[in-house]
Amino acid sequence: MGTLRIETAKGKVAFEPGASLSGTASWTVAGTPRSAELRLIWYTRGKGTPDASIVDSVSFVTPRASDSRSFSFALPLGPYSFSGKLISLVWALELVVEPGPDVERFDLVLGPSGSEVLIGGAEAAHEGAR
Amino acid sequence: MRALDNPFRSDRQLGLRYRLTEAEWRSLLVRLGALGRRAALVGPQGSGKTTLLRDLGARLEISGFAVTRIQLNEANPGIPQRVWLELAWGPRAFVLLDGAERLGRLGWLAFSIATRRANGVVITTHEPRRLPTLAECSTSPELLADLVEELLCSRPDWLDATCRDLFAKHNGNMRDALRELYDRFASTRGYPRMHTNHHEYSEIS
Repeated sequence: MGTLRIETAKGKVAFEPGASLSGTASWTVAGTPRSAELRLIWYTRGKGTPDASIVDSVSFVTPRASDSRSFSFALPLGPYSFSGKLISLVWALELVVEPGPDVERFDLVLGPSGSEVLIGGAEAAHEGAR
Repeated sequence: MRALDNPFRSDRQLGLRYRLTEAEWRSLLVRLGALGRRAALVGPQGSGKTTLLRDLGARLEISGFAVTRIQLNEANPGIPQRVWLELAWGPRAFVLLDGAERLGRLGWLAFSIATRRANGVVITTHEPRRLPTLAECSTSPELLADLVEELLCSRPDWLDATCRDLFAKHNGNMRDALRELYDRFASTRGYPRMHTNHHEYSEIS
């Protein structure tokens, strides 16, 4: 089992639509990876079948067993991060280093004023998401 | 409560494993071999057949088998054309069919013919027919309580009584009972901050 890490510039986790998202992806795994990829994704959680979509991705060329790479994405205008009682949509960065089971995910908020949209009386359990 | 914070959200339920010991797994696989690798997991709705089939598939893959999974439900009531082609012409695989009762007599006949060359066939079905029974899935209020405890990462005071009531209300259907718990939690508010492996809930009744 290796160590994977995603860090955004200045530790930022909340972004406005269309903003630039940059940072560093780093990993230490047992052998030389066949591939290393960072994906910008959204996924849903809730009562129904989970859904997900890869919006953008960057493949790191000739990854080493222990490596660190910078990245930058232009965030799309939507969909916004939102939560209701039945479904939540979450943006995230996902670092996948193959072969192996190593995956790291870093959740983000994409929304107006960098806030998650709460609908239908859903209450955020995280104080920081209010 | 946000859907994301609900401990009974679907991805967490999908993460639940069928409760078998290693010895029971070995016994199940031996029995599957003794049945000629053609067998059925039998039980009523929400009794864990799909979960057991999924876990069995993972074990077969670890053992080196290619596995073809077919899931029939309301949204997908029939076997897709590409799967028929794969069964007939693709690499030999272990075929796992969830929801076999949705196939009519002709559909079952076609499936039986198409899977003659398969490495094995395991189906789930409500009634013990079509293939010899590999395992009968059953539930209990205690099992529901254990599953809820696993999802909550705690065992609150209300758990046993609530699970007994839910078990009776849903006639032992674990899926429906957990969905009701999702709805109950969705209607609550003001829970403490949640962490991945530690939740505290106090407002459910």
